[in-house]
Amino acid sequence: MSAVRCVDLCKTYRQGDQDIKALDHVSIDIAKGQFVCLSAPSGGGKTTLLNAIGGLDIPDSGEVYIAGERIDNLNKGELADIRLKQIGFVFQAYNLIPVLSARENVEFVMQVQGVPSAERIKKSTAILKEVGLEGLEDRRPAEMSGGQQQRVAVARAVASRPALVLADEPTANLDSKTADELMALFTELNEHHNTTFVIATHDQRVMTYAGRLIRMLDGRIVDDINQRAA
Amino acid sequence: MRLFGVLFRLAWRNLWRNHRRTIIMLGAIGVGVWAMIFMTALTRGMVDQMIIDSIAVLPGHVQMHHPDFPDDPSVSNRMLISEADLKKKFDGAGFKAWAGRVRVPAVISSERESRGVTLLGVDPDAERGISFFNYDEVDGRFLVDASDQGIVIGRRLAETLETGIGKRVVLMSQDPDNEIADRGFRVIGLYSANTKAVEEAYAFVGKATVQKMLHIGDTTTEVVFLSDDYRNVEATFQAVMSATDESVSVRRWYEIDTYLGTMLGVMDGFVLIWIVVIFLALSFGLVNTLVMAVFERVREIGLMLALGMKPGSILGQIIIESMLLLTLGLAAGNFLAWATIVPLQDGIDISVVADGLEMWGVSSMLYPKLYASDMFLATGVVLLLGFLASLSPAWRASRYVPVEAITKV
Amino acid sequence: MNIVFRLAWRNLWRHPRRTWLTTGAMVFSNILLVFMISLQFGMYGLMIDNALQVFTGHVQVQASGYNEDKKMRQTVPDIIPLANSIRTTLNSETVAARGWAFALASSEDRSFGIGIYGVEPEFEAQVSNIPGLVSDGRYLETDNAAEIVVGSVLARNLHVKVGDELTLLGSGLDGSFAAAVVNIVGIFDSGVNDIDRNIAEIPLRLFQETFFMEGGGHQIVVVGDGLEAVPAIRSTVQSMLPDDSDLVVLDWDEIQPGLKQAIQADMSSSFFMYLVLVILVSFSVLNTQLMSVLERTREFGIVMALGLRPGRLGRLVLLETAMMGLIGAILGAAAGGLLTSWFTSHGLAFPGMDEMAARFNLPARMYPEVNVLTLSAGPAVVFVFTMLAAIYPALRLRWQNPVDAMRVA
Repeated sequence: MSAVRCVDLCKTYRQGDQDIKALDHVSIDIAKGQFVCLSAPSGGGKTTLLNAIGGLDIPDSGEVYIAGERIDNLNKGELADIRLKQIGFVFQAYNLIPVLSARENVEFVMQVQGVPSAERIKKSTAILKEVGLEGLEDRRPAEMSGGQQQRVAVARAVASRPALVLADEPTANLDSKTADELMALFTELNEHHNTTFVIATHDQRVMTYAGRLIRMLDGRIVDDINQRAA
Repeated sequence: MRLFGVLFRLAWRNLWRNHRRTIIMLGAIGVGVWAMIFMTALTRGMVDQMIIDSIAVLPGHVQMHHPDFPDDPSVSNRMLISEADLKKKFDGAGFKAWAGRVRVPAVISSERESRGVTLLGVDPDAERGISFFNYDEVDGRFLVDASDQGIVIGRRLAETLETGIGKRVVLMSQDPDNEIADRGFRVIGLYSANTKAVEEAYAFVGKATVQKMLHIGDTTTEVVFLSDDYRNVEATFQAVMSATDESVSVRRWYEIDTYLGTMLGVMDGFVLIWIVVIFLALSFGLVNTLVMAVFERVREIGLMLALGMKPGSILGQIIIESMLLLTLGLAAGNFLAWATIVPLQDGIDISVVADGLEMWGVSSMLYPKLYASDMFLATGVVLLLGFLASLSPAWRASRYVPVEAITKV
Repeated sequence: MNIVFRLAWRNLWRHPRRTWLTTGAMVFSNILLVFMISLQFGMYGLMIDNALQVFTGHVQVQASGYNEDKKMRQTVPDIIPLANSIRTTLNSETVAARGWAFALASSEDRSFGIGIYGVEPEFEAQVSNIPGLVSDGRYLETDNAAEIVVGSVLARNLHVKVGDELTLLGSGLDGSFAAAVVNIVGIFDSGVNDIDRNIAEIPLRLFQETFFMEGGGHQIVVVGDGLEAVPAIRSTVQSMLPDDSDLVVLDWDEIQPGLKQAIQADMSSSFFMYLVLVILVSFSVLNTQLMSVLERTREFGIVMALGLRPGRLGRLVLLETAMMGLIGAILGAAAGGLLTSWFTSHGLAFPGMDEMAARFNLPARMYPEVNVLTLSAGPAVVFVFTMLAAIYPALRLRWQNPVDAMRVA
């Protein structure tokens, strides 16, 4: 069964008096455990596609399946549940809740899921160590660097072991060394936990990590390369 | 429950993010709640005092008369029940106190002046605890027993009549045959009251002495009953009702003096209106604070929604934040009210406007009354209305579309 | 428009919701203040008028000490000629002489002690509303006829109606026995229990004969053209009294000191309530303006770095506040004025007012008085407090140093 399947997605935005086709009959199929990069210039439709997969945005037409379950026709609450239980998110910026510490941010999703506290602490400690933030568990986001913040976000995204992690320009605000470390982390998690990754980026170096590279332009897929055998 | 823990923690920390705003808002709520309770305590003190004083003068919480007596307060409308029958009915019936008395209009004259008074023939033993003054605080002495030959009048009346302790006055009234009945009395005591009007109105003599003067045997014109609390006289009323028949009329104090009864209702209404008005004045600031708080946090709210938090939880989080703010403000306000009222409980001297207060039937010492029920009322109203006022900003926050909220700059 | 004005105006509408909420608090308080102050002034006016038009009038001539003691022998000698000459001097009909005595009034079956006024039938209606309140029969007409008008409650208590006879028993000026038999020609109903139960009026000449007054009386009542005229009347009348006389001229406030004090007591509790409202509004303004300054810290940092003095920015904040305050004041005064005007024409009643009216001689409906003062007083005070509340946010700017300010995210 594929982790993500999109069938004939269309989405049009109105900008001023112009209609912009953000998604123009897009169909993709992502197998479990794949490490996919979506690459497109600004306005190429990659964020829209990512949001559609994540159930953050409803396409005008077409179908979206997560682990075989159709999600484009669900209501807000059901979508929230899908996101909570199946998907981890890493956004470009403003990833963390400012009033919570690193550990509390990592535990946030688990807490809303209702995971008991002992298990939460075990998991968050382990994952924070894995992303190299041991000793910084009690810092608030404002007391951490951009790279550290993104690592907390990654830790949160994978802590509850979602089947799918969606990341939108995760390296945009990072220097190249930190970006490399982050991608190494993604790769490692992908390999260790068999987590499916879909990363939207226009960062060339990020693309080199990807097993599969999907290029988009004006809302259409123009290229779909399998860089490594998945 | 676990979810509540998360929401509570978020709400609490968010509350202190903009501590200046929170402190100002707490100050406003604190002052508002303080004013609600403080003003209420002053009003309660004033009206309570007025009602208690007035009931003390009536006296009693429940009174029994001949049905015609209230409209025609004459000795011919007395109750033809003997002392022994009254005792049999009411002694041991569980009243806090009861007393049969003779109340008739009379004219009191000294050598210099005459005035109209209400003549009260009382049994001093039965009246103890019913009377509006303490027997021991009477200048001279109070009546010793029901057949005491002396008279006790108010200080003010004594001044008007230019009489005093040891001097003689003449009382004139009517007997049941409408013949003038008069008798000389020696003034044995002068009582004080909270208002001049009361000091001019009543003259106390022995019950048996008056009964003899008016030729009415051992009958009385009224029987008064005391219950434990003037706010709850129903049990006493029912007890008297069940012991009597149609030949007498039994009334509660608020039926005897409808003005007093109304005042109690008017005061309760005033307290509620005052609390609501203050809350409304506060509510603009409260809603403003929440709107600002939500506005500043659009992106985080979007993030939480994107991560899979339900809109209901966002709503809950804002409501909890609002309730926390209100609760802290309420605690401060209630404490402040308590701390300012307790030192004032010995009374505030407002005798600069004594004549004016007397017009309203209020004495010139004001004793603020801090009732727990008023504190609960203020707290309850603020929490309830605060909850309602928070709904709109909280609802707006929960309706954000995650993608738009996150990308909002 | 001046650039600073334009800047301030635009800044104000950066957060329209916040501005409206803050303005809303002002408008709410202003409406309340306009309404309450108008209501109070309306009520005070009526209270004074109602109280004075019964017996007191504006100015009275009395024997010194009479106002406190009300003793029979404290007379104004030759009162009718004196009243006549006051009438002539003031060139006014609104002057009337009275005597007052206490007497026992007996009908066929009942006797009560009451106050008897001896009045000049011709002039009493000019200074008192009692003649106009005769609801049954007529008022007194002839100067020395054996006639009496009594209060409605008294008539009921005495079991009498128009046409019946009453016997008055009392003591004369010299202490001797005084008696008269009079015909009831009218019954008045003032609505105030105490007056209707205790008062009767007979012609002054009859009064003088009955109580052996030797041409004397107790008070000359003068009513002027409104309260403003009182001092002038008072000094004119004062100058007419012989230097060696024992007479004094008192104005209404001296005769009835309770009236002004009752108003003062009421005013001070109202002012406490108003003050609380105004303070709550100030908190709201303080919060909003502080937030508005803090969120613009960076922006202010930049313009300060460009060389603008912090003082000018402070003035900008004050200007914004003033604009907001003006909107609040104008809208509040307008809405408050409209609301109040509606009640001015329709009147306002609340539960309990009937009872208060019967007790205190108040009108049973209140009509607020809208004028420039009642419309502007509240909004003006709110505006001043609004500006005071903006001082701290404005001053904060002065303490800011541009580099720190710019560093704030």
